[in-house]
Amino acid sequence: MKIIILGAGQVGSTLAENLASEYNDITIVDTKIKKLRDLSDRLDIQIVEGEASHPDILVQAGLDDADMLVAVTNSDEVNMIACQLAWSLFRTPRKIARIRANAYLEKRDELFNTNAIPIDVLISPEQVVCDYITRLIETPGALQVLDFADNLVQLVGMKAVTGGPLVGQELRYLRQHIPSVDTRVAAIFRKDRSIFPVASTVVESDDEVFFIAAKNDIRSVMNELRRHEKPYKRIVIAGGGNIGFRLAKSLEKHFFVKIIDRGIERSQWLSENLSATVLLGNVANQELLIQEDIENADVFIAVTNDDEANIMASMLAKRLGARKVMTLINNSAYVDLVQGGDIDVAISPSQATIGSLLTHVRRADIVSVHKLRRGAAEAIEAIAHGDKKSSRVVGRCIEDLDLPEGCTIGAIVRDGKVLIAHDDVEIASEDHVIMFLTDRRLIPDVERLFQVGFTFF
Amino acid sequence: MIATLSQVISPGCIFIDVPGTSKKKVLQNISQILSEYSSELDADVVFENLINRERLGSTGFGNGVAIPHCRLSVCKQITGAFFRLETPVDFDSVDNRPVDLVVVLLVPEEQVQGHLDLLSQIAEKLSVETTRSRLRTLQDTIDIHREFTQSSA
Repeated sequence: MKIIILGAGQVGSTLAENLASEYNDITIVDTKIKKLRDLSDRLDIQIVEGEASHPDILVQAGLDDADMLVAVTNSDEVNMIACQLAWSLFRTPRKIARIRANAYLEKRDELFNTNAIPIDVLISPEQVVCDYITRLIETPGALQVLDFADNLVQLVGMKAVTGGPLVGQELRYLRQHIPSVDTRVAAIFRKDRSIFPVASTVVESDDEVFFIAAKNDIRSVMNELRRHEKPYKRIVIAGGGNIGFRLAKSLEKHFFVKIIDRGIERSQWLSENLSATVLLGNVANQELLIQEDIENADVFIAVTNDDEANIMASMLAKRLGARKVMTLINNSAYVDLVQGGDIDVAISPSQATIGSLLTHVRRADIVSVHKLRRGAAEAIEAIAHGDKKSSRVVGRCIEDLDLPEGCTIGAIVRDGKVLIAHDDVEIASEDHVIMFLTDRRLIPDVERLFQVGFTFF
Repeated sequence: MIATLSQVISPGCIFIDVPGTSKKKVLQNISQILSEYSSELDADVVFENLINRERLGSTGFGNGVAIPHCRLSVCKQITGAFFRLETPVDFDSVDNRPVDLVVVLLVPEEQVQGHLDLLSQIAEKLSVETTRSRLRTLQDTIDIHREFTQSSA
């Protein structure tokens, strides 16, 4: 595929890195030649220096031949105009843009369609992060929660803790413990090493276990891996910016939410627009945290735009007794550094954004691709199309599929029903198939497997 | 009754030296040509449908041949056209060879079988090396039409 990326920032460059290795033809456009040179020194890509929304620059980048445009410059407006030009001048088939400002996002349905501003896929990092945190809060004890097939299936990563009935036992006992629940363990991460789970794998305390199950069954499986974790009630959000506000808005209906911001005007605005309690002050102020009963907070979430402030405030909150702390970290190099110590969950907006972008640049009908924590595995959801003749998966049992080594099927969703994958399940057309891969380099093989043959209409 | 190639592809639907330096551009140009040929076809709609079909898997089936196809609600009967490209383009084909012979099939929504028979007729015809080389060298569209639609029997 020929893909043009606008903007060589963190998201644009990481995207280029991910795609350049997979037989794609990548051109990246930015106004800063130094950034571009750094990229082209190490990647097999083309670079074009210039304004990403200027027609001549887009022509120079070869947009007329491109299958896809990914507009991820720092400016919402440049991204929008670029998509508009791509459609008006070149009929570019797929246009993806990052849009940050709420003012645009609120009108997304009216604004972003072929009759107005033609953007096919809108990526809002704030929304992605907000959804990510909300899912974690709805699933107490989870380190990562991923949705598949319109939220029918979830994949949860969590730490196994002594006291959970399955800890110290082989995975095969899961079935006996909870016979009514069907689940599949996708990956286990033990002491910085990823283990491919088989029936005889013994779950140890402190293992990070990733499993897949129907959403309603998630709780039962989690209770096997640790003592029951009480639902969260009290949430403290540090930082009332874009993400903090959205988060408070989505959580305040079901939780007691307090939100801290140090700006007087912002705090005023927040209190007018939220029913949550708004506190004026510094997020890392010990007196404030004690006074606001941080000891009894179930979750402390630091989402200011300052990484260091987020990290310090989170560590302080943990020391002062907050049950779980989550921290937003923009510098992706810090993420693995801080996670797992005092900080329970570190969240990188750019990684989350890249994750959702990568879903949309796949061949075949791939609906989502997610990286599990610490790269333990990749999870991928694909839709099967066609019949026995035109497809290499439809009409075949799971055990007969030509899956690449390192790829296992976790679950299938058919007509809204979840089937956990067993060898004798036969794939039907329009099934959503959720798979795990030990290595992202296997993704092209999976894409090929799910592509339809030329007799498919 | 099984439709034959000569019923589906009229002599006016043979186009040579079609420009384009990529799969995307070629399909866009082809859609444009088809919309000029038949007033009921809209270039954007044809292009969108062909591209969406290609996303699910390439119709390039090797030896420089591709058969892009899709269903279209405005189509009353199967419509076919033959295009010879000015320069071969990468089509994500099974054999990774660039494509220069393109046969497009537009099929009514409700069609169930006829198009599959046609598809296999076309595939069979273009699997013959001498046929491909004649289709690549003949200059007159009438000759190309004859070569392409004559019964192989």
